Amino acid sequence: MPFDFPAPVVRHQAINRDHFLLTLESPRVARAARPGQFVMLRTRPGHDPLLRRPMSIYRVPPSGRGQVQILYKVVGSGTRYLSGQAAGARLDMLGPLGNGFRPPRPGRRPVLVAGGIGIAIFPFLVDRLLRRGSRPILLYGARCRGDLVALSYFQARRVPVRLVTEDGSAGARGLVTRLLEPILGGEGGEERCELFVCGPSPMLRAVGALAVEAGVPCQLALESQMPCGIGVCLGCVVPCPADADGPLYRRVCTEGPIFEAGTVEP
Amino acid sequence: MKTPRRGAQGAPRGAGAVDLSVTLGPLRLKNPVVAASGTFGYGTEFLPYLRLSDLGGFVTKGLSLKPRRGNAPPRTCETPAGMLNAIGLANVGVEAFLDEKLPALRRHDTVVIANVFGETQDEYVAVARRLNGAPGLHAIELNLSCPNTDKGGIAFGVSPPVVRQVVAAVRRAAPGLPLIVKLTPNITDIAVAARAAREGGADILSLVNTFLGMAVDLKARRPVLDNLAGGLSGPAIKPLALYMVQRVYREVDLPIMGMGGISTAQDALEFMVAGSAAVQVGTVNFFDPKASVRIVREIAAWCRKEGVRAVREIIGALRLPPGAPPAPRAV
Repeated sequence: MPFDFPAPVVRHQAINRDHFLLTLESPRVARAARPGQFVMLRTRPGHDPLLRRPMSIYRVPPSGRGQVQILYKVVGSGTRYLSGQAAGARLDMLGPLGNGFRPPRPGRRPVLVAGGIGIAIFPFLVDRLLRRGSRPILLYGARCRGDLVALSYFQARRVPVRLVTEDGSAGARGLVTRLLEPILGGEGGEERCELFVCGPSPMLRAVGALAVEAGVPCQLALESQMPCGIGVCLGCVVPCPADADGPLYRRVCTEGPIFEAGTVEP
Repeated sequence: MKTPRRGAQGAPRGAGAVDLSVTLGPLRLKNPVVAASGTFGYGTEFLPYLRLSDLGGFVTKGLSLKPRRGNAPPRTCETPAGMLNAIGLANVGVEAFLDEKLPALRRHDTVVIANVFGETQDEYVAVARRLNGAPGLHAIELNLSCPNTDKGGIAFGVSPPVVRQVVAAVRRAAPGLPLIVKLTPNITDIAVAARAAREGGADILSLVNTFLGMAVDLKARRPVLDNLAGGLSGPAIKPLALYMVQRVYREVDLPIMGMGGISTAQDALEFMVAGSAAVQVGTVNFFDPKASVRIVREIAAWCRKEGVRAVREIIGALRLPPGAPPAPRAV
C-alpha cells in the first residue's frame, strides 16, 4: 500500500556534475518498499514543474533508520530543481509504487544489465539478492566514463562488474549488448542465468530480443512519462504485442514498471 | 448536512458548523467538491489516499459502449503549469463498469456520476440507456468533446444543433438520472452551446473540458504527442475557465459545475463566486492525490473564518462594477 507524505531530506550528495544521491526519511516507505519499485517525488513546491517525477528506489539502507535513497541524473527542469533541495527540505513523496522485480527463478544466476542512469534501480535489488545467497553480476554500459556511477557500491560487495562505454573512455567500447552476447552464448559453462534490465528504450528492446531468442528469462524495468503514478491518468502506457482486437497498451506505473521481455514493446 | 469535522471532545469546531451542502437542480451534494472525469479512475484507485465519503462526489472515466484501448504513446506532455493529454478515451466499457466497478462503490457514501461518450448519437443513447436505473449511480455526465464519426470527426460539442439533439436523445434514454452536460471550450461562444444543452433538456452544465493544444519537439521537428493535438488542463487554464463559467452563469439559467485548473480551496471558491454551484477538480488529482479532500477541508475553514454559514451563499456572489455590460464579448 502506497503512502503520500512530505519526506525530509536527510542528505543530498553530488556524485559528479549531474548525478546526485538523495537520502529521504520515510519509515513507512522504507518498510513497504521492494526492489524495482519507485516513488513519485515533487521536485519543488508550486506549479513549475506541475507534475511529480517517478524515481527508482536506489536503496533502503539497512541501518533501520527508515531512510530511502534515490540516485538520479539531472536531465531537465524537474531534476535541476530537485538538485537544489538541501538537507532539511521536505519533498512530497508518494510510494512505494509499481510491481517490483520478481525474485530470480531457482538455479539461475542474476545478470544485471544497466544502461546509463538505469543503474539506479539495482543496488536495492543486489542488497536482497546477496542476502538470499545469490551471486549477481553486473553488465554496465554508459555514454562515457563520467556517466558510470555507483561503481563503489558493487565493488564493495564484490559483485563482478563488466563495463562498456560508447566512447571507449572506460571498459570496452560499444554497447552493453556486446557484453551480453558471450554470456547468453554459454560463457561460464553450464550455469544458467536470468536477466534484470534497466536503461533507455533502445537498450531494453535490444536486450529483450536477445533474451527471448536465447530462451533466457528476462525482466525489463521500464521508464515512462508518468503524470500520476497510480494508474488513473493512463498516460504512461507502453505498447504490447497486438492481439485480435488490435493494439494493446499497459500502464507502466501499475502493471509495471517491471515486465517480462516479449510481453511489451518499449 | 452539517460539516462532519469535530474537535477532540466531539464538539463542533468554531462558533458554528458550516453547511457545505449544495443543490444543483435534482442533484444534492454534501459538499461542492467533485473529482473530475479522467483524473479519478473508477474511484477505488484513490482509497489508499482518502475516503470517498469525504467528497461531494466523483465522475468516472468516460464510458463507451465497448471497451477502448486508447491512443499510442506518447499520450501526455507537461507544459508550463499544465499538461496536454491525448489518452484516446481508453476505458473498460459500460458493461465492465456495471459488473466490476459500480458494485464496489455502493458502500461509499458519495455521489457517483458516470461520464458517457460515443462516436455516434446512437452510442451515447445506448450507453445512457444501459446506465439508467443502475443501483448506486446518481447521475450521468455527457462528454461532448468526442469526435462525431457521422460528421467527419468534428466534436459533438461545437455544433449547437447537434448538442441539442444528443442531449435530448440521452434525456429520453435515461429519464431516471440527473443529466449533466460537459461543455467543450473549443468553440467561439460557449454560451451558445450552453443554451443548446438547456434546450435539449440538461439539468446541469459542467464546464470546461480541456482546451485543444499541442507541443513541439524542436530537435526532432515533430509533435510531442503521437496524436499531434491534446487537451490542455491544469492551473494554466484557470483564468480561461473562470471567464467562461461567469459568462454561462449570466447567460443560461442552469446550475453549473465549474472546472479548469482548480488546485486549491481559493481556486474553488473563486469559481463558486463566478457562478459555479459546485466545482470539479481534475489534474490536481494526478500530482496530489489527496487534494480533493484537502480542498473540502479548506473550504470549510475559509467559511468559518469569513463567517459564511452556508457555502451556497457565495454562489454567483461576484460583484460587478456599476454599468458593467451584461455579457462582455470583446476585450
